[in-house]
Amino acid sequence: MKKYQLGEFEEVVMLTVGILYKDAYGVSIKKEIESRLKRGVSVGALQTALKRLEDKSYLKSFDGEATEERAGRPKKYFQITALGKKAMEYSKSTRDELWSAIPKVAWELKIV
Amino acid sequence: MKKHKTIPPQFILRFFRWFCHPKLKDSIEGDLMELYQERKVVSGKLKADLKFVRDVLLLFRPSIIRPAEGYKNLNNYGMLKSYFKIGWRSLVKQKMYSAIKIGGFALGIAACLLITLYIKDELIYDKHYTKGKNLYRVLGVIKEGNGLDKNIFFPAPMSNALKEDYPEVLKAGRYNASELFGAGNNEVRSGDQLENAYDQGFVYFDQELADMLELPFIHGSAKRALEEPNFVVLTKRKADKYFPNQNPVGKTIIVDNKTDKPYTIGGVIADFKTTSHIQFDFLIGTKGLAFWKDEQSDWGASNYAVYVQLNEGANVTELEKKMSKGILEKYFIPMMIEGGMSVADAHKFIDERGARLELQPIDRIHLYSAGVHDGLTHGDIRFVWLFAAIAGLILVIAIINFINLSTAKSANRAKEVGLRKVVGSMRSSIVQQFLTESVLFSVLSFVVGIVLAFFLLPYFNILSAKSLVFPWSEWLLLPIIFGASLMIGLLAGVYPSFYLSSFQPIQVLKGAISKGSKGSPLRSALVVFQFTTSVVLIVGTIIIYQQMEFILNKKIGFEKDQVLMIQGAGTLGDQATSFKNELLKTSQIKSVTISDYLPIRGTKRNQNEFWNDGKKSQDNAIAAQIWKVDHDYIPTLEMKVVDGRNFQRDLATDSSAIIVNQSMAKEIGGEVIGKRIEGYQDKYTIIGIVEDFHYESMKENIQPLCFTLGNSPSIISLKVNSQNMSEVIESTTAVWKKFAPHQPIRFAFLDDSYAAIYADVQRMGRIFTCFAVFAIVVACLGLFALSAFMIEQRAKEIGIRLVMGASLKNIFNLLTLDFIKLVVASIVIAVPLAWYAMQQWLQDFAYRIDITWQVFAVAGLVAVLIALFTISYQSVRAGLVNPVKSLRSE
Repeated sequence: MKKYQLGEFEEVVMLTVGILYKDAYGVSIKKEIESRLKRGVSVGALQTALKRLEDKSYLKSFDGEATEERAGRPKKYFQITALGKKAMEYSKSTRDELWSAIPKVAWELKIV
Repeated sequence: MKKHKTIPPQFILRFFRWFCHPKLKDSIEGDLMELYQERKVVSGKLKADLKFVRDVLLLFRPSIIRPAEGYKNLNNYGMLKSYFKIGWRSLVKQKMYSAIKIGGFALGIAACLLITLYIKDELIYDKHYTKGKNLYRVLGVIKEGNGLDKNIFFPAPMSNALKEDYPEVLKAGRYNASELFGAGNNEVRSGDQLENAYDQGFVYFDQELADMLELPFIHGSAKRALEEPNFVVLTKRKADKYFPNQNPVGKTIIVDNKTDKPYTIGGVIADFKTTSHIQFDFLIGTKGLAFWKDEQSDWGASNYAVYVQLNEGANVTELEKKMSKGILEKYFIPMMIEGGMSVADAHKFIDERGARLELQPIDRIHLYSAGVHDGLTHGDIRFVWLFAAIAGLILVIAIINFINLSTAKSANRAKEVGLRKVVGSMRSSIVQQFLTESVLFSVLSFVVGIVLAFFLLPYFNILSAKSLVFPWSEWLLLPIIFGASLMIGLLAGVYPSFYLSSFQPIQVLKGAISKGSKGSPLRSALVVFQFTTSVVLIVGTIIIYQQMEFILNKKIGFEKDQVLMIQGAGTLGDQATSFKNELLKTSQIKSVTISDYLPIRGTKRNQNEFWNDGKKSQDNAIAAQIWKVDHDYIPTLEMKVVDGRNFQRDLATDSSAIIVNQSMAKEIGGEVIGKRIEGYQDKYTIIGIVEDFHYESMKENIQPLCFTLGNSPSIISLKVNSQNMSEVIESTTAVWKKFAPHQPIRFAFLDDSYAAIYADVQRMGRIFTCFAVFAIVVACLGLFALSAFMIEQRAKEIGIRLVMGASLKNIFNLLTLDFIKLVVASIVIAVPLAWYAMQQWLQDFAYRIDITWQVFAVAGLVAVLIALFTISYQSVRAGLVNPVKSLRSE
């Protein structure tokens, strides 16, 4: 199904935006991912993903306040759209289906 | 907050600002700055700088970089789409107005298209020769009275003389279409058949002329087909008629039953293009031809049209001068001297009459031959201009309708414009919006117009006597149509769009403009223009018809009704008289006459010269026609003998008697009866004067003419007693079959043939009528919509008036008076214009009607009535409506 296309990093970004709820903008998302997943995120990679998600209408954005440490530039806050939520649910449910489809034996073998 | 702020490396930042997508730039730069400040505090400036550089470099990726073609929408597709949508909605919302707008426009476009096709066809005449710009027709010009006489016929040796004497002349060729020598119309059959058919388009044609015109040969040799004596070349359609499905080269045809002199077919050519001024079907070669002894070297008779092909780059005006002098001096003056003139007189004659030769470019023959006597039917550049003007006028009327309706409807769009301005639309975009709308209308109208023109084309062809086809295959058609629809759309939309976009939002939204559409002076002017044009066209139509009536019903000097003609009677030969006697046994036939000539076109004509007896070498000749007739000619055609008597059977001396018409009597002068005159060979005594009758078009004065007795049966005319023509035709055919079993009888009615002389005038009248109707319909459509709209605007006023006790009549007067004033104004303007134009047209006729005031009264009345009728529907409706309906909304 091509219906809801969501890459791994994109899914992480979406989830993080969800976690941050009202406070999801570039720097906060980056920090949240870095601290939770212990992995470095470059501004470029993050912005590319955000733009792509916005183009797919999984996220919407609005301009927020400008602070002095941002040299007067506005923050761009992100929010999950209904379509984005559906995409995430779809992604989760397909994973769950796959998980539940793995026979128990497979795990046991692995443990041995 | 820190007062002093460290900043990241400027050139990196600038680099980032340069490449980053403008929509993302601010927020990402904010993120970068925030991170930078934090990192600087945590790990120092250097590390923060490095990380900053790294981040910027990693941002340098396709989705972040600004697109090369620009980030904004460079076009306004979105907006245009919206304009179209709004335009379409307002079109659909007001079905009647839209239908009138588009319908009127489409009518105008269809008329224009048809006329354009017509004009195009006229303009491409004789443009298809590869050597076209070197081909000329030779004209002989001589002063004649106040005007110039232009003649194209020259003596037989003319073409060779031109070629030999002037090195500029590369080729020279002739044709001879004179009926005296058997060209024109003849009975013809293929050599192995017995049944004759009557056919047209015989001509004597030089091989060299065929070369010059590059006649496209289908069969036979293009170089040799006319080079043998008694060879003939047929066009494809005639070859198919007489020799279906075969190659006729080498076969024979027999013309006019002359079995001793069959013509051998030398070749078949494609039919002449419809856009060629030369239209023949049987080209007879001139090799070995001589109509009398030494005819081919005789400078005394002019029967040949001469065409020349000049060298590349020859100086035409120089050559004309050289030729005029050289040819006249070398050939014509010696001939005049031989004819009895003194040397001095001959030179004087040439000088006084300004005789000269001219070269007429072949592609100008069709349109620029007014006043040239060449026996061909051709167009007239004045008509091309006239048609172009009419097309332009109709288009202008249609555009005016469009403008009028658009501005009149402005009140309905005013609020829209106001609101658009309030939410930030610039004037230019509103202009753009309305232009888009008018282009939409124009394109729709073009589509409808083209379809209309396509279906009207067959009728137009009948009307204009052309065979136009719609040029679908022309690759230029689509771009031209598209360009034209765009241009006309813009043209028609300019004024409305600027007018509409000038509204002040505050006033509009307050509701002040909605009454502003009551009477704009411009709109009135446009209505006046439309009706002026219509009135001029109505006057033109009436006058053309009056002139036509005048021509057909004028006392023409003979009785053309109830006369039946049998053509091709030459076949009967000596039996003609017994045929005549046989016919006279029928009670329905009053009288019968055998003759060569009738006062209609398509019978034979000649030109002779006469002198008073014994004055041949002294006096100027009187040019006149001799018609050979029989004793019954004058009674049968009911001509009037004003002096002297008709021929009498019992007087043997009448064989050298002559009857002249009044014009000729005037030329001879003095007491005419009993006078003796001489022609080339014979001498005659004048025994009678017949009243002048019209035998050529009424565009010319009646020329001298005389009758002598003679037996040359070509046409037999029957004066019929009975009303039952079909019975007469039946009995006559039965008699004919006895005498000429192998030839179908050919009938014509004299009055029909007479009317055919004026076919062009009639055609002109019909075309005028059509376009007048076009113009009036379009103007009325406009007036109808305009009045409907005005009434809509004044609905409340009318409601109040009705409540206060106004009658239907009051309301009607109130509403129609304004428009009627405009129509009356147009009549005032139109009358002098129409008078002047029609006066010019009537100048063409030597016999014409006077323009009377009644014509203008009728035209004016028609215009007022049509206008009144158009408006009254709406006015009466407005007066009958229940006032509650219009007042309720308050």
